[in-house]
This record gives sequence, structure tokens and C-alpha cells, in this order.
Amino acid sequence: MPGGRSLLLAGVVVALAAITGAALLHEARSRSVVQPAAQAITTRAEKPQPPALTADEERYATALWAVHRDATRFAVAMSFAGITYQTEDRDARALARKIEPLAKFFHDAEMQVRVMSTPPSLSRTQGQYVDAMALFANAAAEMLKFTEDGDSQRLGDAHRMDVRASEDMLRVGEVLWPGQYKPH
Amino acid sequence: MRKRALRIRPTAWTAVIAALACLFGAAAQAQQPICSAWLIESSRFMNVPFGSFMPDRAFVPGSTKPESNIPTVDLPVNIGVIKCGSELILYDTGWKQQDYLKMTGSEHWAPLPDQLKVLGFNAADVTKVVIGHAHWDHAGQLSDLPNAVLYVQREELKSIEWALNYPEPHIRAVNSDPGGCNRTPACGYMPLTIEEVYGKVLKGKAVIVDGETEILPGVRIHPAFRAHTAGSQLLEVPTSIGKLVFGSDAFSSYEGIRDWMTANVQQTDTVQQFLAYEKCYKITGGYSNCVAAHEPLSYTDKYPLTKNSWVALNGGRMAEIALAPGEKSRKP
Repeated sequence: MPGGRSLLLAGVVVALAAITGAALLHEARSRSVVQPAAQAITTRAEKPQPPALTADEERYATALWAVHRDATRFAVAMSFAGITYQTEDRDARALARKIEPLAKFFHDAEMQVRVMSTPPSLSRTQGQYVDAMALFANAAAEMLKFTEDGDSQRLGDAHRMDVRASEDMLRVGEVLWPGQYKPH
Repeated sequence: MRKRALRIRPTAWTAVIAALACLFGAAAQAQQPICSAWLIESSRFMNVPFGSFMPDRAFVPGSTKPESNIPTVDLPVNIGVIKCGSELILYDTGWKQQDYLKMTGSEHWAPLPDQLKVLGFNAADVTKVVIGHAHWDHAGQLSDLPNAVLYVQREELKSIEWALNYPEPHIRAVNSDPGGCNRTPACGYMPLTIEEVYGKVLKGKAVIVDGETEILPGVRIHPAFRAHTAGSQLLEVPTSIGKLVFGSDAFSSYEGIRDWMTANVQQTDTVQQFLAYEKCYKITGGYSNCVAAHEPLSYTDKYPLTKNSWVALNGGRMAEIALAPGEKSRKP
């Protein structure tokens, strides 16, 4: 009987769809429950040993980390821009192209960190980080001026600022994120 | 009158050739200086899980097997001090402890200039520094060696810059990224360390090396690319006890070289690390004269090359490896 068979087929399709839907819903629910816990474990295992900070200080450390992760990479990139210029191409335009985004980043980072809500106990730490970003920004500006006037004294000045900035960044790191650097 | 042809017996020819070979060989050797060598423990990383240093030596609780019953090891950070005539060469320079960089878990650090003084040398007298690679714990303190010319592989520098600019954030991750970086290509290169390298470049005191090069007669840099980092390099040194090969972290472990086990896997291709081990075997004729950077058995009888040792500044150890003829012992 075609009408009955169609009805049976439709019933089977609906039942299958219902089972599939229920399975998907179950999976989605399990994932939403399990995922944060798994993430938390991974984060705990991978993050450098957290210092004994208060909840407010922890929040500040996490917020600053967002800047710090790029600041570290860009600080190394700035040295490499100089190394490449000296040892490879002596191409002032290429150097400027590499430094311009770094100059902007460090300028913006200085502003961002300066207005960050900071627990009073970390005001000195914040000041050091602001100084570091400002020094990197000034160093980048000096390197850009060098690409315009060729005065190599500027590269030496920029390098000295970079070193001081890196030391400041490490000082902050010792307070907020000890254990960043492991035996290599 | 019939001329008599000069006839020399084959054995006589052989003797003449052998004598000439000896003569020229000795002359060539006379041109090649015999160097003296010492080892300085810059600092010591304490209680490092053995398995994180050597995967094949991972601790198995309850195991009685010698390869898996040691939970943690203390890793020295070794610096080679090499004197060839008037040239004073360092192989690696450790790292610089500061109020802002204490490196929790590290002990026995002392300033490199002070450690050199214990050996009777001035930091200003160091003429050359060869860094096995540019990681933060091997290429620090360069600014304390004002007259030294730095030797670093171009491959090392280029690979870091490549990694920093890689679009995928997980691959370009550095130590300050969430979760750290462990073995990503730009991991372990602290801004301050790279600034020290850049400082040498700016002052015109850096030689960017492409592969193999001889920096003094008989003192030869060998590339060991990817044996620890992209641009790792070894240093062959002629001494009175035969050739030494300093390996930095390409030779992190003496036991690893002896037993053909990989060690300190960072930006490492383990096959290349084994090829670096092989290079030491070929150059020195075995594993005994391969100088390891982090061997836990350093300064003990179990690493014979380094057993002539003593405790110096802040509990850090030193070893006298070989003395050139006429060179005085620096061991107290």
C-alpha cells in the first residue's frame, strides 16, 4: 500500500532526524561543559608559574600580558631589523619599512599601558612598563630618523634605549611572570 | 766512458718519501698552534626533570633500570675558555643574572669577568667569542667582553627573523606568548640577548659566518644546523690531548653523545643532532673529547675530560681540560 509505505518511510526519517538531533545536542552540551575545564588545565600547565598575586594583581598581569606578548616579539624584531641592515642589505628604505609598524606599536602600547587600571601595589611596576614602551618607541623613532639623515650615532642611541627598555621589561616580568625563560 | 745510470732501490724511494712526509707534516703541525682549554660553569639549573632534558632518560617511578630511575638532574651551563698563543677565545658566554633576572631554580651564577679572573684572564683580553647558538642562556654577557669579536652563523640570525614574522601565531610564539613557547622556532631568544648581539654588530665586532670557517690555524667552526637551533655551530680546537670539539647545545649531554641519545630538544632535528655527534667522532676519533654544554656529570670522574676540576666562585665549578706546552696550570 503506497500511502502506508510513504507514511512508514516518513516516520523512519523523522525518527532518524530526532535521534541525530538529540545526539548533536548531547555532544554540544558535553563539549560546553568539558571544554572550559580542559582549557583551564592546559592553560595552567602551559603558563609560567604564577606569582603570589592578589586577584586584582592577577587581573592586571593578565591584561598587561596581552601587550607584553607582542612587545617582546617586536623588541626582538627591532634588533633584527638593525642586524639585517648592518649585515645584509644596507637598505635604509627596507629598514624604515620594518621599523614603522614597530614605532606605531610601541607608541600605542605606551598609551594603552599608561591608562590601564592598576592596583596601587603595582604602580611602580606599571611605571616601569610604561617607561619600557616609551623607550622602545623613542628607539624606533631614532632609527627612523637615521633612515632619513644617515647619522649612525642615532643607531647607537637607539640601541642603548632598547637595552634599557628590555631591562625594564625583564624587571616587570620578574614580578608578574617569573619563569618566562627556561633552560634552553 | 759509459755513464752509470743512477739507480735507487724502491725501498730507498719509500724511505725518502716517508722522511719528506714526516718533515712537511711536522712543519704543518708546527704552524698549527696547540691550544689550552678550560671549562667554566657559568651557573647551574637545579632539579630539572631528566626526561625534559633527555627524552630517553625519562623517570619511571619504581624502575630499577639505570636509564629510567633518575627523576631530576642539575644542569651546568658550561663556557669554554680557549687560549691559542696570544688569542683568548670563549665558546658560549652563559647568561647574566641581574636583580631583574634571577632565573628561579638557577644557582651558582657568577659574573663572567670575575670567573675569567679566577683563571688569570681579563675580560678585556678576550679576542674572540664563538656562540654555539644565540639562546638567552648561551649568548649573554657579550657587552662585558668589550674587545671580543663575535662569531655567529647567518643561518641562526635569519631563522629567528623568519620565525618572528611567520603569520601563524603558534609558530611565531616567543617566551612571552600565552603558554610560553617551548620549541617554536623563535623560542629562547630574549630581547636583551639579541640586543647584545646587535651591539656587537653595531660596533663592527661581529663576523656573520656562513657555514664552515677557520678562525685561527686549526681552530675551525663547523656548522651543525638544526642540531639544536637552526644555526648551531661547533668549534674544533687542537690541543695537547688531541682535538676537542665544543658543541654547545648540539652536544648538550656527554652521555647522549656516548650512548647516541638525543638531548635538549629545542629547535632541533634529532637526525641533525646525531650527525653533529658523528662529526665529533670523526674529528676527535671518539666521544671522549666532545665538550658538552649541560652534561650533569660535568666536573666529575664520570665525564673524564672535565674531571680535573675545582670549585670556584659562588660554588660554580671549573675544569682544566688541556694545557699547551709551556702553559701554566690555572688550577689552584
